[in-house]
Amino acid sequence: MSTVAADPLHVRFAAIAGARNVISAPSELRTYECDGLLGYRIRPRIVVLPATTEEVAACVRLAREHDLPIVPRGAGTGLSGGALPVEGGIVIGTARMNRILDVDLVNARMRVQPGVINLDISAALAPHGYYYAPDPSSQSVCTIGGNVAENSGGAHCLKYGFTVNHAVGARVVLADGSVVDIGAHGGEADVPGYDLMGVFVGSEGLLGIATEVVVRILRKPQATRTIFGTFPSTDEAGAAVSAIISSGILPAAIEMCDQLAIEAIVAATGVDWPLDAGAALLMDVDGVSVEVEHTAEAAIGLMRAAGAIEIRAPRDDAERMLMWKGRKSAFAAMGRISPNYYVQDGVIPRKDIAAVLREIAQLGRDAGLRVANVFHAGDGNLHPLVLYDERVPGEEAKAERVGGEILRVCLKYGGSVTGEHGVGRDKICYLGEQFSSDDLDTMKLVRAAFDPAGVLNPDKVFPTPRLCGDRPGVYVPHAAELSGEAGRG
Amino acid sequence: MTGGISIAGVTPAQTLTPADRRELAAIVRDLYAAGKAFAFVGGGTDLGLGNAPRALDAVVRTTALDRVIDYSPEDQTITVEAGTRIAAIDAVLAQHDQLLPVDVGDRRNATIGGAIAVNAFGARRHRYGSIKDFIVGIEIVRPDGVVAHGGGKVVKNVAGFDLPKLMVGSLGTLAGIASATLRVFPKPAATQAVLVRSDPASAWFAACMDDRALEPVAVAQFPDPGGVVLTFAGVAASVEQQIARVAQLAAAHATTAEPLAGEALERCAALEAAVRTGGAWRWTTRTNAAGARSSGPSPVTGALEIAYPTFGVRLANAADDALVDRLLAGRGTSVVFGAMPQRARGRVDAWGEPPASFPLMRALKTNFDPKGLCNPGRFVGGL
Repeated sequence: MSTVAADPLHVRFAAIAGARNVISAPSELRTYECDGLLGYRIRPRIVVLPATTEEVAACVRLAREHDLPIVPRGAGTGLSGGALPVEGGIVIGTARMNRILDVDLVNARMRVQPGVINLDISAALAPHGYYYAPDPSSQSVCTIGGNVAENSGGAHCLKYGFTVNHAVGARVVLADGSVVDIGAHGGEADVPGYDLMGVFVGSEGLLGIATEVVVRILRKPQATRTIFGTFPSTDEAGAAVSAIISSGILPAAIEMCDQLAIEAIVAATGVDWPLDAGAALLMDVDGVSVEVEHTAEAAIGLMRAAGAIEIRAPRDDAERMLMWKGRKSAFAAMGRISPNYYVQDGVIPRKDIAAVLREIAQLGRDAGLRVANVFHAGDGNLHPLVLYDERVPGEEAKAERVGGEILRVCLKYGGSVTGEHGVGRDKICYLGEQFSSDDLDTMKLVRAAFDPAGVLNPDKVFPTPRLCGDRPGVYVPHAAELSGEAGRG
Repeated sequence: MTGGISIAGVTPAQTLTPADRRELAAIVRDLYAAGKAFAFVGGGTDLGLGNAPRALDAVVRTTALDRVIDYSPEDQTITVEAGTRIAAIDAVLAQHDQLLPVDVGDRRNATIGGAIAVNAFGARRHRYGSIKDFIVGIEIVRPDGVVAHGGGKVVKNVAGFDLPKLMVGSLGTLAGIASATLRVFPKPAATQAVLVRSDPASAWFAACMDDRALEPVAVAQFPDPGGVVLTFAGVAASVEQQIARVAQLAAAHATTAEPLAGEALERCAALEAAVRTGGAWRWTTRTNAAGARSSGPSPVTGALEIAYPTFGVRLANAADDALVDRLLAGRGTSVVFGAMPQRARGRVDAWGEPPASFPLMRALKTNFDPKGLCNPGRFVGGL
């Protein structure tokens, strides 16, 4: 709580959300200077933590009255700077809106406030035998509001899809402070009209602030089998992933760790994974028992054929949980093997995993930096971690440069510059390399429909001359594309 | 050549059939510049859907845009031009034992662009979701002729706004679809349907839905043969076991389960096609799973109707105006008409009351099509 409200707006926002939920003292604002992307820091003018839809709407209206740019924030775990404040602006945090509002098992829907933590949804459903599928690695701390903004993924999205496939409706406070329900709220398959929810999910806080979210929930599968396999190198592990995907079997998750990542995970969690393995795959297969047995055996056969050294199953549920904990804490585990690391997020076609990992390794060698890989292999969603030491002059810049080159490799293979972390502030200047200015202008037509003045989360997602130079990585379509002889992604 | 195309009873003066995507963009740009109202038409299998356009000078047919731009079986994605027929995509995918789970009434004629525009789905939505759930990229031609892309070719991608999803079900009122990239799926080793002579309101149905040993790919209720058809797919042993489990549950609830094959299965498919393509009046009702499980058989006696009870959708058609009047009495926004007699146009709004979010939809339409020339008036709330 602030002792002195120096900012005259403090009182106005306090009248909406309560004095203890408004922050304007510089020392307390520090927490809100950045999200999970620590490299960018901007101190906002004021932070408000409203508790209801009406309070959020009132905050937005007051902010508009005073021309404050508005940055929505969930738990602040995002890795692309999507919740980076704007100088002189307001941050509206939804962390206090953390109530589960309604569970509807017959329609397999649940209505929650945006500040509900991802894992708490599944925890609340566990007694009923249901769960919520998207499982970002940060699921024990990230909130559903942030998941909706980022279209968060996770390991088990391979089989079950991403947030956009599971968040079906929302109550949204728009940039003018009005409140509107979009998508399906009553368990209907869809609602007539444009799929506003489809475009809202993953819009990174530029289209509105979700104050309630309706999610689809799933019955827990009858059986789950976890398989862990080691390989001499990422070549064989990558080939195994490609073989599994193209064979037509669909595991729930296929995660890959390379040797460096294994080393970090072992050091951080104590799992007994072999340190001399060049790569490991961690896989879940789930569904009806007989199908699971068949799929698991088929996957194991393909792993062996691709050159697996060793294949194991967890001895019990505790070991299974430990294996997954190892995987999900991999980013943080990097601290065991490097003073600093730069997390990258890109996507490539799944058939090209081995080739792309070789190119990434080469980029690292050329720069004299180690690159660890721990990622959603089944989706082709890479997470190279460029390791560096900020105390060594120039290394941080070098790491960022390698990170950028990795994205260009992803694009070269027909991929994307982000699979789940979002564009945020971090990648705005790369978006123009993936999309033409006509593509981006068209996306801006959507933004202008929701927020004509562009006051919600400005300087995010879309490249601007101020932040990226006059013509950031302009994409020029080839004539062959337009005539139908070639395509692109 | 006009080809006899008319949209919800409105016949345009001109039908233009671009030979490639570049020509598509050029034609659209010229029409827009000339202030002419136009609509995109694929296979022309759903031209009764929605309201009559306010104006229609030209139809732009996409049927010559029928190339497979890129098919990557090992990555399970396909990029096709909008005018590619669903059956043609089926044939390409079959070579690699893969499938695109888009259900339409007429696979030989319906195009993928049209299927996206109308958000086509059927019973397999239970397992695979709707097109929204597996479209990963799109190329559109805006009403002003500008070509734009959203999404990409990879199955996971959060770069930029999700234009592919915005286009699904937008009925060509925001832009024309030039091509799309879709995730495809492995063809299951075995597929088997089973008919249970019961209904979604029964205790048997509730028991099936609660049973973790059952994961059907499709659940549909048919008036003839009367009952619920569950379809299972996967490895043979798993399919057999699930069919046996359904029979067990049926017996426990004093009803019977009959595996469907050959002619019986074809009759179901024919009935479904008839519901989707026939009738002077044709409509889709959306409730939810709870609604579907409480209401039992058709609320509109006399209509030909099939239902997908797990996601609360019913498809129906009828010839009789009186039936439809009863349906309209308690309508809300949950009934959408795919066809109606000409005499009813103007009297019956095909979409019902627009949803509360309509101002956002109108703003989108205005931004994409400021002159209001692209399929004007056919969609929800006169968009």
